[in-house]
Amino acid sequence: MTATALPDDVAPDEREPGRSVWAEFRRGLAAMAPILLGVAPFALVLGSQAAMKGLSPLEVALMCGLNFAGGSEFVAIELWRSPPQIALIAGMTLLVNCRHLLMGASFAPHLRRLRPWQAALVLFVMADETWALGMDDARRRMAVTGRPGISLPYYAGLAVSLYIAWVAVTVLGAVVGPVLGNPHAYGFDMAFTAVFLVLIRGMWKGWRRALPWPVSLGVAAVTHLAVPGAWYVPAGTLAGLAVAYFVAGTETREAAS
Amino acid sequence: MSDFARYLTLDVPSLLAILAMMAVTYATRVTGYLVLRNRALSARATAVLEAVPGAVLISVIAPALTTTNPADLLGLAVTLAMACRFPMLPTVIVGVAVTALLRHVL
Repeated sequence: MTATALPDDVAPDEREPGRSVWAEFRRGLAAMAPILLGVAPFALVLGSQAAMKGLSPLEVALMCGLNFAGGSEFVAIELWRSPPQIALIAGMTLLVNCRHLLMGASFAPHLRRLRPWQAALVLFVMADETWALGMDDARRRMAVTGRPGISLPYYAGLAVSLYIAWVAVTVLGAVVGPVLGNPHAYGFDMAFTAVFLVLIRGMWKGWRRALPWPVSLGVAAVTHLAVPGAWYVPAGTLAGLAVAYFVAGTETREAAS
Repeated sequence: MSDFARYLTLDVPSLLAILAMMAVTYATRVTGYLVLRNRALSARATAVLEAVPGAVLISVIAPALTTTNPADLLGLAVTLAMACRFPMLPTVIVGVAVTALLRHVL
């Protein structure tokens, strides 16, 4: 399990002996497994909705495999006409995915030692889930080694399992069509929330560092109720970061005085 | 046209839309990294960047809190309690199972 903060659970640096690339890869597959449980029903729904809009399974596979960002795919399918309005779809994709800017920025220190093509691939498969688990692991490794950096085979395990599952299950959804019920009825959507709650608990560094959290939660919840679309994610994130900026300023002043 | 051939249809406007999505999404993925890759950051900027993961994750799951469905709220409360004490897998299994049960019972 990645989420238990036990010393023997911490990944060693990839140069240390005793932990093979293959073991790290499998650790990534195992860490992603509970998330796939929550992702699969939504992939089925996305695929069947895409089929109802007239996309072929090949087109569904291309969209999910080349774009690989579920939120924007749901929005694109919602807006899809025949022929599709490309500027509209590209613009909405940008809005839904602008959180990637902050995610990539926070990931940057951990990717510094990678070759450019490795970083390019890592970023291509950077989704909410791979980034969240990858950051969690990198933070844990930094606590031991004292320097930033992701475990590349671990991240590859995360990304390969999520990528294959996302593309394969959306295509399955497009092929078997809209015969499936609503995944909401089975509780699978709670898997996503559960995984993120456990990850957030792992980020606990005292009350002061957690001050942005209730602000993000409140602003995102209110925005979700008041504004249609995915605006609640950037709104909640930026509100939390404003609090973090203020808290960090107070700390700097206290340290100086 | 056979079923299998129908699976493989690909028209040009659809392909262009998909390629546009890919270009936009990949741009959002690399831009933050490229801008910050070779910068030395102030302590304050580092603290803000360290707050990004928590702020994003909490914002993404915030809609779960906006429901008025008692089954969903109870399921969320149980999942939150599990997440405070237990590792990933038990939290996910109990959260999903309890929520599914509550949705059928309530």
